[in-house]
Amino acid sequence: MGVIKDLKNLIAGLGITGKHLGTHAITVQYPEQRDKIPERSRGIVVLLSDKETGELNCTACQLCMRACPTGAIVVEFERDENKRKVLTNFTLDNTICCFCGLCEESCNFSALKLAQKYEFSTIGKEELVWDMHKLQEVGRDVPYEDKRKKKKAAPKKPTPKPTEKKPEEEKKPQQTKEEVEAQAEKKAKPVDKPVDKMEPKPEPEKEKPATEDNQPGEKPKAGEEPTEQTGGKTEQAGDDSKDDTKKEGSD
Amino acid sequence: MALRTEEFVVNMGPHHPSTHGVCRLVLTLDGERVKKVEPVIGYLHRSIEKICENRTYPQCIPMFDRIEYVTSMSCNQVFAMAAERLAEIEVPERAEYLRVIMLELNRIASHLLFYGVTAMDIGAYTPFLYGLRERELIIDLFEMTCGQRLTYNYIRIGGVSHDIPPEFVPKCREAMRIIGQKMADYEGLLNENPIWLARTKDIGILRAEDAIAWGVSGPVLRASGVKHDLRKDDPYSIYDRFDFEIPVQKNGDTFDRYIQRLDEIRESIKIVNQALNGLEGVEDDKIKAKVSPNFKPPAGEAYARIENSRGELGTYLISDGTKKPLRVKTRGGSYNQLQALPLMCHDVLVADLVAIFATLDVIMPEVDR
Amino acid sequence: MNGFSEFLELHPLFSWLYELLKSTGLQDPWLRVTHYSILGSMMFGVLSLIALFLVWWERKIAAHIQQRFGPMRHGWHGWYQTIMDAIKLLQKEDVKIALRDKPVFFWAPIVCFVAAFCVYVVMPFGEGLIVADLNIGILYVLAITTWTVISLLMAGWGSNNKYALLGGMRSAAQIVSYEVPMAVSILTPILFVGSLSMNDIVLSQTGPIYNWFVFRLPFGPIAFLTFIIAGTAEANRTPFDIPEAEQELVSGYNVEYSGMKFAMFFLAEFVNMFTIAAVAVTVFFGGWNGFQFLPSWLWFLGKTLLIVLLLMLFRWTYPRLRVDQLMMFAWKFLVPVTFVNLIIAGLFKHLGWYW
Repeated sequence: MGVIKDLKNLIAGLGITGKHLGTHAITVQYPEQRDKIPERSRGIVVLLSDKETGELNCTACQLCMRACPTGAIVVEFERDENKRKVLTNFTLDNTICCFCGLCEESCNFSALKLAQKYEFSTIGKEELVWDMHKLQEVGRDVPYEDKRKKKKAAPKKPTPKPTEKKPEEEKKPQQTKEEVEAQAEKKAKPVDKPVDKMEPKPEPEKEKPATEDNQPGEKPKAGEEPTEQTGGKTEQAGDDSKDDTKKEGSD
Repeated sequence: MALRTEEFVVNMGPHHPSTHGVCRLVLTLDGERVKKVEPVIGYLHRSIEKICENRTYPQCIPMFDRIEYVTSMSCNQVFAMAAERLAEIEVPERAEYLRVIMLELNRIASHLLFYGVTAMDIGAYTPFLYGLRERELIIDLFEMTCGQRLTYNYIRIGGVSHDIPPEFVPKCREAMRIIGQKMADYEGLLNENPIWLARTKDIGILRAEDAIAWGVSGPVLRASGVKHDLRKDDPYSIYDRFDFEIPVQKNGDTFDRYIQRLDEIRESIKIVNQALNGLEGVEDDKIKAKVSPNFKPPAGEAYARIENSRGELGTYLISDGTKKPLRVKTRGGSYNQLQALPLMCHDVLVADLVAIFATLDVIMPEVDR
Repeated sequence: MNGFSEFLELHPLFSWLYELLKSTGLQDPWLRVTHYSILGSMMFGVLSLIALFLVWWERKIAAHIQQRFGPMRHGWHGWYQTIMDAIKLLQKEDVKIALRDKPVFFWAPIVCFVAAFCVYVVMPFGEGLIVADLNIGILYVLAITTWTVISLLMAGWGSNNKYALLGGMRSAAQIVSYEVPMAVSILTPILFVGSLSMNDIVLSQTGPIYNWFVFRLPFGPIAFLTFIIAGTAEANRTPFDIPEAEQELVSGYNVEYSGMKFAMFFLAEFVNMFTIAAVAVTVFFGGWNGFQFLPSWLWFLGKTLLIVLLLMLFRWTYPRLRVDQLMMFAWKFLVPVTFVNLIIAGLFKHLGWYW
């Protein structure tokens, strides 16, 4: 009798798998179809730009840099004549970023966000070190709630120091607008045409006067190259980076 | 003439499909029979405890996520609890409810993964996918709440990082209902299957006194018949408010350890449902106690322990009054369970060794840290 | 309807080929050699296609059981995925480990591959669709399927790898043990046919559907069940896939093989599965016998694929047995059951209680 019972149980098992044979698949075909990602999903870190002026929100306060547990963020700044901090570079090393979101929480100026983007796989490790231009470019279409506006509006009311503020505000666009334009050009190109390594080369030279003064040395160069190469990739190419970012470490 | 035979040594791991990460088992085999097992650990050592000494308290929590990535929530919780004990912070009630919900959801997710990988290690492929299918529901809930699917960084010192979105509660109830339903499928596939019974019954018996002597905790201990669960015995958070049972098995064999987990999923579903009901009664919207970004607990030391899906997870913190902890020590259940492996693998076959190892549900990052 | 299905029959092709060769003026030893080699190559081609199809089918079945899609990229539902896989495997480097036993390592996949295909010489695919109707057909099948064990042992030994060796030893023990219940359960129908020729076995099951051996109560179904269990073990499939148990022996005997050599093992495994199903159909399910509206070879193929589907469902449902339980099951359960069944069948035959 034991044999018959065992046989019955074995057939019951077949029934369960057989039942599923007729059901529809619950997975999606990744690059063509995508699961909807929740709003709060933490993907790559991007820098946010002001909705009106298009300049970066970052004030180089370095709070994110201090909050980062892995040291992935490096914020560089210099002081202008009014001793205000002016952002010169913001480097994010995606290879050591752990996507914990502490930087976003620490930021009081809505300067950065963990966007709902997860496709940024590259061939080389060095291409994953992003500078502020790249981060800004990736973050352009990221919707966000501007915490900064309220804060800015509040100090404006008393208006006792218009003289102090003005040069700073003038200074900032001057410095960043050039970059912004250069960025806009750059961005237009890879979208229109497929990524072309030869073409954008003249552009960094245009830009160099702006950045090189601030940062002589290797950093801007190292940071700029990946900007051009990966610019088109993140938007077009469907890499299988979803697994890398979303299910890291599961085995 | 008698055939000359000799024992031979096989390295199982560090790269082996069924060592769940990078554990290396040095096996001395007599044919297929295992004469000696010697776990060699340390391949996944990332010195998280030492790294934490150079991080501020809030920065330690993402590090703790990586100690045991299958149930990151409980790692967050245990660190937050230890830090709260140091600084004597009162956690808001809503946050406590959210913590319990997340911890129990994570326990279910972990046990579902266990169901899958154990079946896989014993050779049944399909249950793995079924287990992961329902786990995905829970992972989606986590992603919806805190934005991450594996390393959550959700439970913070003094509360939780985000309040749940409005669609969370109905989705969570639905997920609990679905998982409750699918349990029938899980059991139908394996529980009565004669092959499964032959492979698991009376294999790798761990007696209660041995389990206690080796410091084994969690489901493995309870499968051996010891009714010990920190949620009841040393209630932390608000576990004393919920009505649930501690399932216990008798024999302590592989089958009992498997069935123990399935029973615990049911109890966890009960707790989650109760906590969701309780959450509706909380009027205060506060989810985090006021904690300064430069969190500096007073000098002293604290130990916090919770019941993880892999046993007792504890954190011992020493503070010298600065922003960074002076010493962080973690106690993971997996480590003690791995110690007990040679004891259970006396004169078994290689296939049994795999089954026993799977039901211990050892996760290597927790062993090596 | 009848005319249509007869039109689709393939056996006129065989005689037409023979006539064609004869008209070229070939004399008998060479005539036959040429004829058989052409038929053999045709069989080889068809079977390779079937094996490729089975790989794809198994992946689809597994995927749908697990609520996935499976291969979807190449063609409709990825139908030529396995062809692309084969091309990829052909391009891959053939990794040769330094301390291998060179000739043994080299020949193992070839022996496995050839053995898997040789069986089909005596397989009646349809009415008259048989390469050589040997009078010891079924014995030949049993003998050739056991070849596999040699190749697996060779692979295990030649790889100079402990896991591979364990896999080879396991497979030797397993296949040799399961050979016994398999042979005895085939013997039960043979008792009633009175011939070992595959064609005779099929012909004895013509007529109404209850003439199929599986419906000859009480011994028919039991013989079929024991055969399919032993056959699953013979084809090294879950729940009896201990020679390559991934979770224990990583991949068992083929752990050191790569590229096309691995593909040969892999394809041979699927051909073996098809063999088991084909023998089951021939012996128990009336071979190519069916109803009039379809040609005989389609009946054969359809029934075989159904059995293959059953084997696939086994694989994706059940856990794996342990090596000692496997042997215990063979010798302490299957062998007695098949022998008792054989005796009962003999009794029925003697008393004439059969149809």
